[in-house]
Amino acid sequence: MNGTSGQKFLWLILITVIIAIPFVAGSYVVSVMSFVAIFGGLALGMGLLLEQAGMFSLAHPTWFGLGGYVSGILAVRGIAPPWLGTIFGAVFVGIISYLIGAPLLRLKGYYLACATFGLLLIVEITMGQLGTLTGGNEGLMGIPSFSVGPFVLETDVHYYYLSWVLCLGCLWFLHNLMDSRMGRAIKSFNDSEVAAKSMGINVPWYKLKVFILTAVMASMIGSVYTFYLRFMEPSILGFPLLVELVTMVIIGGGKTFYGPLLGSFVVMWLRELIHLSLGGFLPRMSAQVDALFFGIIIIVILIFMPGGLSGWMDRLLYLGRRTFGKAGE
Amino acid sequence: MNDILLDVSGLSKHFGGILALNQVSFSLKKGSVTSLIGPNGAGKTTFINVVTGIHAPDSGEIHYQGEDLVGMEAHLVASKGIGRTFQLVELFGSLSVLENTMVGCHTNSRASMLSCGFALPAARKEERRIRDEAMASLMLVGLEKRAFDPISKLPLGERKLVGVARALSMKPKFLMLDEPVGGLAAHEIKNLVELIHQLVSKGLTILVVEHNMPFIMFLSEKVIVLNEGAKIAEGAPQEVRTNEKVIKAYLGEEV
Repeated sequence: MNGTSGQKFLWLILITVIIAIPFVAGSYVVSVMSFVAIFGGLALGMGLLLEQAGMFSLAHPTWFGLGGYVSGILAVRGIAPPWLGTIFGAVFVGIISYLIGAPLLRLKGYYLACATFGLLLIVEITMGQLGTLTGGNEGLMGIPSFSVGPFVLETDVHYYYLSWVLCLGCLWFLHNLMDSRMGRAIKSFNDSEVAAKSMGINVPWYKLKVFILTAVMASMIGSVYTFYLRFMEPSILGFPLLVELVTMVIIGGGKTFYGPLLGSFVVMWLRELIHLSLGGFLPRMSAQVDALFFGIIIIVILIFMPGGLSGWMDRLLYLGRRTFGKAGE
Repeated sequence: MNDILLDVSGLSKHFGGILALNQVSFSLKKGSVTSLIGPNGAGKTTFINVVTGIHAPDSGEIHYQGEDLVGMEAHLVASKGIGRTFQLVELFGSLSVLENTMVGCHTNSRASMLSCGFALPAARKEERRIRDEAMASLMLVGLEKRAFDPISKLPLGERKLVGVARALSMKPKFLMLDEPVGGLAAHEIKNLVELIHQLVSKGLTILVVEHNMPFIMFLSEKVIVLNEGAKIAEGAPQEVRTNEKVIKAYLGEEV
């Protein structure tokens, strides 16, 4: 492929736009774009699991929330500063996801989905019950701002940049990964597990590694989210976030490494659009209106572009290349 | 003794009430081409699956270069230099032709998940080496022009050749081809025969499961015939062809 120079150019444009936004746009755009980065980064790992590795794990909000809780609690109690807490959270989630993944990943398809969904509910309820440690159902309060040594992140713009550094870091990592021997191995066992094993790929071990990797990514994003809101509650790591992530993966398309981030962008801004246009006369129904709109969009996407937006764009690119000369070599 | 690559003895495997392999024993010489034939359901593919560790045998022994393969997991068997193709091709549909072939290089590459993700220099260097090796495998089967096509654009014959290229990327010492010529055009079959001879002259040992009789007669030094899971004949192609048990198995008994 001649993609490398074109890809570098796209990366450059993306990074430039991300850096420029706070200088040209107001605080409203900056705060929506921060959430695009946070939930987009989270959806990237979810898309990798669901669509590329074929592992129907629904526990992604759990890793996000656990990372947030661990780093938040450590910071509230003054045990570890936020940056160190983020690392501790990631290590903690890595260990837990290993212990849980090792037995659970023997399950496939819907059975894995059921088991991981059970995990999601159990962790959500447990966080609500551990009153003194987690603040119970009222939530964890008094979380300090994110800081590294003397540098304290205070404004929305600071968190905007932190979120995007993490999100683009995840995007870059997954881009490299999926274009390597490991990425090909991950896609191969989704296509034919028998053939993958016969090529020397240790399928159960790789599944576990992908599971841990995406859990650790989710955990770090969860920590940033917690320090941004300076608040954490059990319902954040529950069912609504799961639905939101799946929506992003379906709309953006999980077969490409960047699709879920695109999905996050579309979902976040569509929601703002819906609220701006309908919020005036349906003020109490916003969640239901959201659900209705996204339900319709998911159906339309699944019928007309089953690969999501990114799959559709890839297909256009492929057709364009075939029609207008052989740029493919 | 030292020129024996694979030695199986008393190999049995049943699925439910069906005995797919029944006390099969034979050995393969290094650098030889052997054909495994038999009517449908004779246990040919089961044999490959048992040797490669996809299925565990009920009883029997498999010695490969003096090492016991029974109970070894499939990915470890592959890392010993045992490559295979599949009757139903089993290519990776989400990868291009070249990428499929690159997966074959998995056993002779090392880069970890983290070094791949962070694109460390060692991983990138290895990636270039894998790409070159896979391209070389594609050239062996004559598909280098198809390298960047998705698998779905290829006809069945070319897909089978991608399967062969993918197995060759493993740099195997022992290669099992499961019905490689079904769907291939005449000139492709001729090229495949040439390729097999060329590989064998370099010391590769090959076991071919096939139905195409002229291909087998022309290709193999030895033919092994399975029927209902049991070995009923073994010998040079001409001997086997005139063997009465073999004729009965293929044509049925007279009533």
